[in-house]
Amino acid sequence: MHDRKAVRRRRAALAVFVALSIVILTAYFGESGGGFFHALQRGAQEVFAPIESGASRALKPVRDFFGWAGDTLDAKDENERLKEEVERLRSQLAKAQTRRRDVRQLEGLVGLHRHDGFPQGTEPVTARVIARSPSVWYSSLKIDKGSSDGIRLNQPVIAAAGDPSSGVVGGLAGKITRVTGGTAEVTLLTDASSGVAAQVMPAGAAGVVKPEVGNPRDLLLDFVEGGRRITEGTIVVTSGFKASRVESLYPRGIPIGEVSEVDLDEVELYQRVHVRPFADFRRLDIVQVLTRRPPATETAGVVAP
Amino acid sequence: MILSGGAVLRVALLLLLATVLQLSVLSPIAVAGGQADLLVLVVAAAAYYAGSISGCATGFAAGFLLDLATGATMGASSLVLAAVGYGVGRFREVRDPSNALLPIPVAAAATAGWVVAFAAVSFMLEVGARVSPLVARDMVVTVLLNALLALPVFAGCRRLLRPSLAVDPRELRRRRRPPREATPLGLRGIEP
Repeated sequence: MHDRKAVRRRRAALAVFVALSIVILTAYFGESGGGFFHALQRGAQEVFAPIESGASRALKPVRDFFGWAGDTLDAKDENERLKEEVERLRSQLAKAQTRRRDVRQLEGLVGLHRHDGFPQGTEPVTARVIARSPSVWYSSLKIDKGSSDGIRLNQPVIAAAGDPSSGVVGGLAGKITRVTGGTAEVTLLTDASSGVAAQVMPAGAAGVVKPEVGNPRDLLLDFVEGGRRITEGTIVVTSGFKASRVESLYPRGIPIGEVSEVDLDEVELYQRVHVRPFADFRRLDIVQVLTRRPPATETAGVVAP
Repeated sequence: MILSGGAVLRVALLLLLATVLQLSVLSPIAVAGGQADLLVLVVAAAAYYAGSISGCATGFAAGFLLDLATGATMGASSLVLAAVGYGVGRFREVRDPSNALLPIPVAAAATAGWVVAFAAVSFMLEVGARVSPLVARDMVVTVLLNALLALPVFAGCRRLLRPSLAVDPRELRRRRRPPREATPLGLRGIEP
């Protein structure tokens, strides 16, 4: 008897609380924002707010401790993940920068062929630099193309400009001095043994471009007749001279650099002109070897060195 | 539970404390995406020690308080927590709750019931957005955390509610202990 009563009471309690909950739910959904339950909620939140705020401030150390413990555990995993990500991004960045540089250099080389006066029909072979000489006295580099690609001794080599804003996108870099089946060695203009017959455009003053060893940003145009007036900023190109049986290795018209300074004080037979090369000798990654000489090389009235 | 002003005051104090602690301390601490739920533990503890009717009433009150404090849909938490309280209370009435470690599975089951039922109610009522499967992971984490917290929370609740309890399950266990064995003389209490 007692058990039945207890069961009934129990079930009634459950039914009452469930029904009460459903009534509240229904009323809450049915009423507007200003209704009884919404107002009650707002009031309760206003009452709770200072309590919660106080409790939150008072128990912050506890929360911080748990947060610190959780963060420490999470940080270990995150650290590993971030390290991997940094490694991956660094590798991607390096690849992207290398590609960007390659693209810039290739653009420079393409632009160089379009440059006014550049010799046409030279059949350029593009090659990648695979090694460089460590000494400033022997300024040379090795490229990944050789005789099997049509490369022969003494062929001119051009490279993109380091600073495309100069207007000229590249210039002469050197010549082939050694060839194997798959590789070739380029002796740069900055090598101590280098010398190129050149002309200042458009004045036509001729001379020989020699390096200033140790300074790849400065070449010297020697043996320029003293009476010729040369101004800064004018362009120096290969003269491609041909005199009786002697002929320049470089076809006429390949840009070398621009005049950066003229030594006017030197009262000599020949004046010395400083030339800033267009090719960036410090950053050569891609070069082009001009494997064919243009059909007609103009004769220049210059005395060869 | 003996229904008295003191008992109501104790339960109200317990629920208020649990709500404030839940909202101010436990909710901001996420462990592996989930968080402990103190309120359902308190309801389960009250039902475990005081029975189904008291559990049901405590659950309803706890849900009401929670919805008031959080601004959630009024009635939803009350509905689920009242059912949870009733279920735990019935378990205590039907089974022998004397095992000291029983609060752990009880808390885990109560929490699982709460998170699943509340999710179902929320779905039925107003959730229109896409739900991530990670919700299931968070539920499991909450159940595990509550299982870990069960023993201290149950002990604390028992301590607070004890003056109002008609029958304390641990007292029952103590009473049910078999009498000590008699001495060879056949008399108890004069062992060497």
